[in-house]
Amino acid sequence: MSKRLTVANRDQCVGCFSCMYACSRTFRRAGSTNKAALRVRVYSGVEGAFSLRTCLRCAEPDCAAACPAGALVVQPQGGVRLERERCISCGACVRACVLKALQWDEEERIPLPCVHCGTCARFCPNNVLTLTEEA
Amino acid sequence: MQENLLFVDLSTQTSRLVRDRELFDTWLGGTAAGTELLFRHCPPDCDPLGPDNPVIFVIGPLSGLYPVATKTVALFKSPLTGELGESHAGGRLAAALREADIDALVITGRAPHPTFLTIDNQEVRFHSARTVWGKSALATERILRDFDPQDGRKSSVVRIGPAGERLSPLACATVDSSRHFGRLGLGAVLGAKNLKAILVSGSGAFVPERLKSYRDTYQGIYDKVVHSGEMRKYHDLGTAGNILTLNAIRGLPTRNFSQGYFEGAEALSGESFARDWLVQHTACAHCQCGCIHVAEIREEFKPYHYRTTKVPYDYELIYALGTQLSLGSPEDVLRLILAVEKEGWDAMSMGCTLAWASEAFLSGVIGLDVTEGLPIQFGDAGGYLEVLHRIRTGAGQFYRDLERGTAHCAAVYGGERFAMHFGRVEPAGYLTGENALLTWIVGVRHSHLDDGGYGIDQKLLGKPQPLREQVAAQVKDAQWRMVTNSLVTCLFARSIYDGETTAAALAALGISRTPEELRRLGEETLRRKHAWKRACGFSPEKVTIPEKLFSVQTSNGPLDRERMAERVRLYLELADIAPASQETGTP
Repeated sequence: MSKRLTVANRDQCVGCFSCMYACSRTFRRAGSTNKAALRVRVYSGVEGAFSLRTCLRCAEPDCAAACPAGALVVQPQGGVRLERERCISCGACVRACVLKALQWDEEERIPLPCVHCGTCARFCPNNVLTLTEEA
Repeated sequence: MQENLLFVDLSTQTSRLVRDRELFDTWLGGTAAGTELLFRHCPPDCDPLGPDNPVIFVIGPLSGLYPVATKTVALFKSPLTGELGESHAGGRLAAALREADIDALVITGRAPHPTFLTIDNQEVRFHSARTVWGKSALATERILRDFDPQDGRKSSVVRIGPAGERLSPLACATVDSSRHFGRLGLGAVLGAKNLKAILVSGSGAFVPERLKSYRDTYQGIYDKVVHSGEMRKYHDLGTAGNILTLNAIRGLPTRNFSQGYFEGAEALSGESFARDWLVQHTACAHCQCGCIHVAEIREEFKPYHYRTTKVPYDYELIYALGTQLSLGSPEDVLRLILAVEKEGWDAMSMGCTLAWASEAFLSGVIGLDVTEGLPIQFGDAGGYLEVLHRIRTGAGQFYRDLERGTAHCAAVYGGERFAMHFGRVEPAGYLTGENALLTWIVGVRHSHLDDGGYGIDQKLLGKPQPLREQVAAQVKDAQWRMVTNSLVTCLFARSIYDGETTAAALAALGISRTPEELRRLGEETLRRKHAWKRACGFSPEKVTIPEKLFSVQTSNGPLDRERMAERVRLYLELADIAPASQETGTP
């Protein structure tokens, strides 16, 4: 069994960004949205829509395939782990993710792969995100 | 640690970053730090629409770091009142300023041509706004959000509508989708600076000094916000829930404060809006409550063809553009809100001014000669939309005057006795009693949010309390709100951020302030604001109450002239604010 973060109810998102703050705070010890391993994208207009971009934990991840340095290691359950010492900060991985789910730490110039821990989901007040069990 | 002041001079198209840790060590942030910046950078005798009037945006120590610390404070000299201009807005601005590592933004001068600013991580760029000048507040956001190159970042867009460009003292500045620096004419101050919009974004991340206590304190506050029910009413029905509450106690201002009961309240209630019109809740950045209520109106513009528009609503908008104008249809109210929203007016001030015009027309103070053939009458939604259209197109002197506010119109056309304003500011929706009125007279912003006067009125029903105790409670609340507005947390979370919680939240960030020290900061800040207002020539003792209000019933019965004067005297005494006669010039 393994767990995977999923967007269960995109249309219940109110755009509070609590998920991104939770991820940054927990994993990067930072009060910010900029260190989160997921994104809530905002569309303009009077209270436009919100679109959530979270890691799908692909079996054959485009991000890993795009990495020229082999820094993103594909995991047995899918998704990637960063081997930081190998990363050459080229950003090819982030550009390769069509979903724009893989985030980039501008300060440290490294990608921020999601570990599917569910912290973001625990801090979502509207059940937009959930952590599901997978065989 | 807070220290970064970003100064932008529009005249020379330059900017500079100044580090001033002492400012924040002394004044914490938000409104207290902003007041100090006002003393430093705003000459009290300056022309509000001149280049010397600065616009000061300030966030606080908790901004972007704790739940519901979502507000940005704006300070300036008001073109509506000629004294303290202060307005607060949510949206994503505070979060964006935090991530750009800017604690205060001070904008001075006047751009030589229409301009908008992009501020990314303290780097300022000046862009021509000629192509968006004249565009509605809503269109401007759509266009500039696309212009923003920071794809995926949490940028904030502050902009004015055409009302601000025309220098209407009722003009607001709109933040992101539909939050506002609504009151006291910030829109006109920006318009006079030729500044159409400001975009803010940043890539920063603040690392708290004591990580474990930060996370623990955060969790405690988060649980109260999301699970305790303390903020649930703001999310569920939202402030519109007040319509039936106030109507039940006859405190819902109707037809220009003629009475506190609106016969159509049921249709305009928060319950009715939620059932028939609400399509979406949204939130300011880092607010898990999500109090923004969005309705949708669908109109057939030709057979089988529809346009659909989202319109945010709140209690104060329904009061100002609904009960005040005797409109009983939610759809009509939403249409008026949308027209006001596009143009970028303050809804409360515009609604009250339309109510004054209606009473002036009804009582013969103005006639069809003045209105150029258009009857302006309570209950006539089509008529009000036409009035707004004429104001927008500048059709005739009367319509150009209407967007200068109630006090201006009454001075030009008459009807002073029913001109609803306090120190030139149109009131919020409370006909609850003398405490609410006192807030509008002595409150630093003449705003119902300056203290809980309307709430004290509601608690008084059937439970009389000595006058001094009522005023003392008001003063205490006004002082603590100075702390709230310095942090800067949303007033809706004021019960959550009490003295102990606030002290703990600050301690985790390495800022040491006891609840007692915070209270003293609040007291001092309130005094300093009144000192600045006095320096502008303002005296609370000289604010007149519209004569009409002495002949209507509030929730607590009729007003008493002597008692109101005594309340003002007591407030100044208890807040330790020097009476006018003891003032010795500029502080």
